[in-house]
Amino acid sequence: MPTAQLAVSDHAVAAGAPAHDAEAALRFKGVVRRYGKHLALDHLDFSVARGETLALLGPNGAGKSTTMSLLLGLLRPNEGTVEVLGTTPHNAVAQGRVGAMLQTGSGSGLPPGVKVSEALALVRRLYRRPADFDTTVERAGIGALLCRQTNRLSGGEAQRVRFALAIAGDPELVFLDEPTVAMDVDGRRTFWKMMRQFGAEGRTIVFATHHLEEADQIADRVVVINHGQVVADGPGATLKAAVAARHLRFVVPEPDPARYDRLEGVTDVEVRGTGVTLVSLDADATLRDLVRSNLAFSDLEVTGACLEDAFVALTACGRKLPPEVDA
Amino acid sequence: MSALFAFIRFELVRLLRSWKFLAITIGFPVVFYMLFLGEHTAGAVVDGTVTWRVYLMVSMCTFGVVVAALNAGGSRLAGERSTGWARQLRVTPMPAWSYVVTKVTASMLVVLPVLVLVEVVGYTFGGVRLGIGEWFALTALMWVTALPFAVLGVFVGFMVHAETAYPVVTALMFILGYFGGLFNPVSQMPHALQSAAQALPSFHHASLALGFLSGQTLGAAHWLVLIGYTVVLGLALMWKHRVEESRGLA
Repeated sequence: MPTAQLAVSDHAVAAGAPAHDAEAALRFKGVVRRYGKHLALDHLDFSVARGETLALLGPNGAGKSTTMSLLLGLLRPNEGTVEVLGTTPHNAVAQGRVGAMLQTGSGSGLPPGVKVSEALALVRRLYRRPADFDTTVERAGIGALLCRQTNRLSGGEAQRVRFALAIAGDPELVFLDEPTVAMDVDGRRTFWKMMRQFGAEGRTIVFATHHLEEADQIADRVVVINHGQVVADGPGATLKAAVAARHLRFVVPEPDPARYDRLEGVTDVEVRGTGVTLVSLDADATLRDLVRSNLAFSDLEVTGACLEDAFVALTACGRKLPPEVDA
Repeated sequence: MSALFAFIRFELVRLLRSWKFLAITIGFPVVFYMLFLGEHTAGAVVDGTVTWRVYLMVSMCTFGVVVAALNAGGSRLAGERSTGWARQLRVTPMPAWSYVVTKVTASMLVVLPVLVLVEVVGYTFGGVRLGIGEWFALTALMWVTALPFAVLGVFVGFMVHAETAYPVVTALMFILGYFGGLFNPVSQMPHALQSAAQALPSFHHASLALGFLSGQTLGAAHWLVLIGYTVVLGLALMWKHRVEESRGLA
């Protein structure tokens, strides 16, 4: 059981592995994937328990889509192993136990020249034990779209149809790579409601996103990836608190980086000329400490950090915590 | 097996519903046949054995095969690969090779009605008269030997991007048509072009059928070239599919 802990892994050292390994729906062990010289995944380790809903959170280019491709057997790892439902990703897909919604860039991901119902009927035929047609239509909320041509759908409608295709085979495990990317706020809400219902039936769901809110609200557990490594692994709420990072910017004639580093809550210090930027997990405490320390400053400004900084903060916060925070 | 049939049927339905595909595939050979027929004395003999009306009918059958196969594979395939549909199929239990097999099969299946249609036009407007057995044998022969073109179309679809597919397919259509001696007999071409025709499968496809109709030879050389093209293009297609697969793209 993933408990309320924020396990932070430091490079290749695996952390927070679920206790019931035999029940893992999927497992990454020391996975390395390169594209030419570029290292997309750098010894990635994590596993997901059956029935769990996991968010893969990370900025663009963090390695989320590569992780998805490896889980589906579309790519092979250069090093390490990927196990899905107790077998290889390829076998799991061939056995029809996995469904996926991939990123399609500018394309719809649907075959042109057919109706939505025909595309769904075909995909069902490709599975040995597909879900009931009407059930799938209902789960994905595409009843009104069945008679439409696939190339006459809005971005959000096409995403819902692709969700229907992903679950048409009644899979035990579903991968969704940034599923709400083309949807408006309402669309997102409806989509995640359907997703939750689908997950409540004991299925394992893994989705990639770069929206912290989405990860926090939907997933049981969030694995944060940056630069191809697991940066943090824990429940969304803990993570959200950890990334409540703020930027403190001010100007000093002669900055002394070593002193700022010791201030309360500070995880990162950047000095450029006379400008100083502190990344802090507790801006109030840092500010109090700054005043107490009698350090000179002017033109102070406090801003929310962007997600990218939050990942940096998480990595930094890992260094300040003991390596294992077990309950 | 039923999944494979379902997919082939799905592909056929998509092809036959596409007005663009039908217009190009039916329009080109039929319109060209009528045009060229008007330019020549239909009953006059070409190359000492066959008449213009027969030469043009067979040539347009071959051209129909070229146009249908290149358009069914080529640009359509490149297009759906770019939309992500091909990748979506990869994450279903359908084996990766089924995609290629289905594409080639669907191309072969749409080629058949094109052949029959050009023959019907040859009979009604061109005045071509053959024995019933000859009609069937001619159709079967031209259909079976359409395989290298079906493979070529799918190969092109894997090689080119969606944006460049159209010009590439159009260029190939006219290279295979003109230089393959389908618009004008090879014997009436300049010498250099005559040897170029020998290298093209379209020349051998038409020549095999014309040879059969004039009862000359078995056309072993033609068979050899067509089988050679099928094998080489088939291997190239398998290689390309492998490469795409390893990159997670196919």
